[in-house]
Amino acid sequence: MYHIALKMLLGNRSKYIVLVSGITFATLLMTQQSAIFCGLMLWTTGSLQNMRAKVWVTDPKVEQVNEVRQLRDTDVGRVRSVEGTAWAVPLFWGLQQAKLADGRFKQIQLVGLESATLVGRPYRMVAGRIEDVRLPNAVVIDELAIVRLSAGRPKPIGLGDTFEINDREARVVGICRTAKSFFGMPYIFTTYDQALQFAPKTRKMLSFILAEPAEGWTAEATAVAITRATGLRAYTEKNFFWATIRWYFVNTGIPMSFGITILLGFAVGVAVSGQTFYTFVLENLRHLGALKAMGASDGLLARMLILQAFTVGLIGYGLGIGLTSLFGALGLEKGEPPFMLPYQVPLGALAVVLFICVFAALLGIRQIRKLEPAIVFRG
Amino acid sequence: MADNKNNYAVHVRDVSKTFGVGATAVPALKGVNFDAREGELLMIVGPSGCGKTTLLSAIAGTLQFDTGEIDVFGSALQKMSKNENSAFRRQNIGFIFQEFHLIPTLNAVENVSVPLLINGVSRAVAERKAHALLAQVGLEGRGHESPLNLSGGQQQRVAIARALVHEPRLIICDEPTSALDKENGARIMELLRQVARAPGRCVVVVTHDNRIFHHADRMTEMEDGRVARVAEINGGHSSSFIPN
Repeated sequence: MYHIALKMLLGNRSKYIVLVSGITFATLLMTQQSAIFCGLMLWTTGSLQNMRAKVWVTDPKVEQVNEVRQLRDTDVGRVRSVEGTAWAVPLFWGLQQAKLADGRFKQIQLVGLESATLVGRPYRMVAGRIEDVRLPNAVVIDELAIVRLSAGRPKPIGLGDTFEINDREARVVGICRTAKSFFGMPYIFTTYDQALQFAPKTRKMLSFILAEPAEGWTAEATAVAITRATGLRAYTEKNFFWATIRWYFVNTGIPMSFGITILLGFAVGVAVSGQTFYTFVLENLRHLGALKAMGASDGLLARMLILQAFTVGLIGYGLGIGLTSLFGALGLEKGEPPFMLPYQVPLGALAVVLFICVFAALLGIRQIRKLEPAIVFRG
Repeated sequence: MADNKNNYAVHVRDVSKTFGVGATAVPALKGVNFDAREGELLMIVGPSGCGKTTLLSAIAGTLQFDTGEIDVFGSALQKMSKNENSAFRRQNIGFIFQEFHLIPTLNAVENVSVPLLINGVSRAVAERKAHALLAQVGLEGRGHESPLNLSGGQQQRVAIARALVHEPRLIICDEPTSALDKENGARIMELLRQVARAPGRCVVVVTHDNRIFHHADRMTEMEDGRVARVAEINGGHSSSFIPN
């Protein structure tokens, strides 16, 4: 009887298309918005992905990676002295202004790496060598900087070109690839000492200390030891990642606004698909009554409805995920909007779609249980 | 199950059915007594609202009656659970409805194979039997047509094939010729008479259509929820109505 159920469903072309479209749209809305949200959250941890240090030491009041509260220069030595720390290096991290060739200004994310080790260096160079950043006034820019800092130039900014950071000349010696930052500013890498020259002077200039656990120590154990010994706050990379995500969850309206859209997708799915499926069942009620009169049990008819609901649901879900992936692929090619589709998102959407299917099927099953087979004898 | 002692296909005793309650209660059947024999085509006739369709629904097991007894081939419907009733219907009863109730998204073969599929027969076997039945009702080669592409007479023949495909013992027909012209109606009734003649079978027809009365073996006339008269039509024992 199951192929009969499918033929009854597929034969009603208009209802079938509306049902599949409803689920497709709901899946698209839920997964695409969730993926943008995940991508955006990933952007908030862009610095963590770019520096890749196992332990981050910050001021005790710092709650997330995009928040900087300067440390004393002597804190680097204090961290180095903690048992369980293999090494520790200073990192400068700050928003600065770059002057473009046409006279306009753009904000940049200036990163100063410890010059001996270059710990926190970009993970992939596209042109030039990172070691050249040790040369006077040298900087390595990321690919986004080419777009952002090229205004007013006859050709895009490249190796050997210069621009100004806070009225001081910077010369491009390399181009790298970075993970995007939440604020959408390009990353400019230089040495720690040169970064202090580019940035306006303040009483304390050290942003973070990056540390490595000693052999036989885990990052967690080293972080605990540093926190205990120095009174500073030491995060493992993983803890800092989740602390940052949590901070944006709690302190911004981003989860709420995305949550509302995701909820709308769910509501559209339930309303459109549930209601259309219910109408589909009502339209077929006399045929279902005839089947019931011929001896089809409530259980058989319920299974037929469940099959119909799940067929529509899974096809709509597949199309929705396909469209989301297409959107993601197009977005990733351009680098924006933010997009990340962890397996939990399609899995969650599948659970929601299955819920919608069960809901729609239950509406129909309720009708079937109430249906008197004698209906077929009424004119 | 009771024994089918007197060759009765359907044995109805003191059956009553009232729709609604209190002031809005409408008695549809008022102590109906009625029999149908094996091998006969019995018609139930009477004016609109006299209880013909209610009685047919009760005999078919699709409507629960309030009081009385109905035995169909020795099985007491009033003693069956809902599931037993469904199982009894799918094995023993074939239905021909006034509005055919063919599923428009299925072709003729698929429509005819439905009762076999409900009985758990495999799709291949069911469709083979459906093709054979369609050939018997004169629709050979039309099996893959949608019911929407068939005439009223052809649709009713598909419905008859569907009613017979699982070889039920009792065929219940509700106004089988009301949507057909005289010629098609006569052809359908001739088919039903042949079915009724098969051993161990019975056809019960509810109709208003006086053009087909002469096809009946017996006629039962209903009035106001009761059987008013029974008459032998074919077989020649009597041509007059017998008071209930």
